[in-house]
Amino acid sequence: MTAEAFKRQLEALSADYRRDLPKKLALIESLWLELAHGAAQPSRITDLLRELHSISGSAKTLGVAGVSEAAATAESFLEPFSKRGKLPNAAQQAEFVRLLDALKRAGS
Amino acid sequence: MAARNPVVINEHDVYSLTKKGEEELRGADTSLSPAEIELLIRTDGKATVAQITAAVRAFPRDRVVASLQELFIGGWIRTAPKPDPLDIVGFFEAPVPKLSAAAMSKAKSEAASGTATLDKRGHYVRIARRSAKREAKSETISVVVVEDEPHLAKFLKQYLSFEGFDARIAGNRSEIMAALRQAPLPDLVLLDVMLPDADGFDILLKMRAHPVLKSVPVIMLTAKATRESVLRGLAGGADGYITKPFEVDSLIKAVSTVLGLPQNPGSGTLKR
Repeated sequence: MTAEAFKRQLEALSADYRRDLPKKLALIESLWLELAHGAAQPSRITDLLRELHSISGSAKTLGVAGVSEAAATAESFLEPFSKRGKLPNAAQQAEFVRLLDALKRAGS
Repeated sequence: MAARNPVVINEHDVYSLTKKGEEELRGADTSLSPAEIELLIRTDGKATVAQITAAVRAFPRDRVVASLQELFIGGWIRTAPKPDPLDIVGFFEAPVPKLSAAAMSKAKSEAASGTATLDKRGHYVRIARRSAKREAKSETISVVVVEDEPHLAKFLKQYLSFEGFDARIAGNRSEIMAALRQAPLPDLVLLDVMLPDADGFDILLKMRAHPVLKSVPVIMLTAKATRESVLRGLAGGADGYITKPFEVDSLIKAVSTVLGLPQNPGSGTLKR
């Protein structure tokens, strides 16, 4: 494979990742809403954390640096609650929603 | 003099020392030539004939083969029993081996500098390895990429394939089992820490306790570049770290250093 063909292959992969990003962000939002409204067990924060972790660890490599950074910030905020298996209090929830909004903006 | 049966030596054959061969190496006197002694040293039960030939550059291939035939007929070497890379049944079911206090203590002194290097460069390599296989340029280096994010896994596979590696990807327990069982045994594992049904550090410990997988170099792919996680990896026997999200440059540097491959200066690619 030529370097040019390889570059095109990576660009196609990056474009595919960007196309999938809204679905990933929607999943994160839906998980958070379930948790915040008591429709999911607090232990499911781990699932939310995993989704954020996945995005923070991949987006920059695949060409969306701002998304990685925003996801990493949200992940760091949530991690202590995941370890305790407890939901953030109201003020902390508001802060987390702000971080999620920043993530959505970075991904749009 | 009776004609001896010719011993057919193939490129992929692997030989190990017999008791006589081991004693020959240990003994003060030897009837063997320096070239034969060098071959005995390199006959470690792991290197193929192709790898030995590549490593012993001073001698032509024909001479290496002829010498190996003589060593075989003379009883110094024998066909090595083949390690079975498929024998990993129960890999995930077995309990995770515990880290020894000695391993933790040894890793502690390195963890601080490792974390600092990760922060600065995005990768940290503990041990530069160089095996005979690296020197046998004809052999493809195989890498198992354990990564559950499908796009990132595909990126790694495409990138490593472009660089000439044989890359297999695995995102969960069953895929890891399948990738590890597939011959040949991998030359390197890139191991994500947070997986849907497994923990990368636990996998590392299990690999290091496994008779076949214990010598396979492992580079951890981790977003958690904390001292605690670096310490855990070092104590568990990781050869290197790459911080996620990673730059391709960090990936190349870590892989090339752990595998003992030179890089093409300025090109950002590996020299094979």
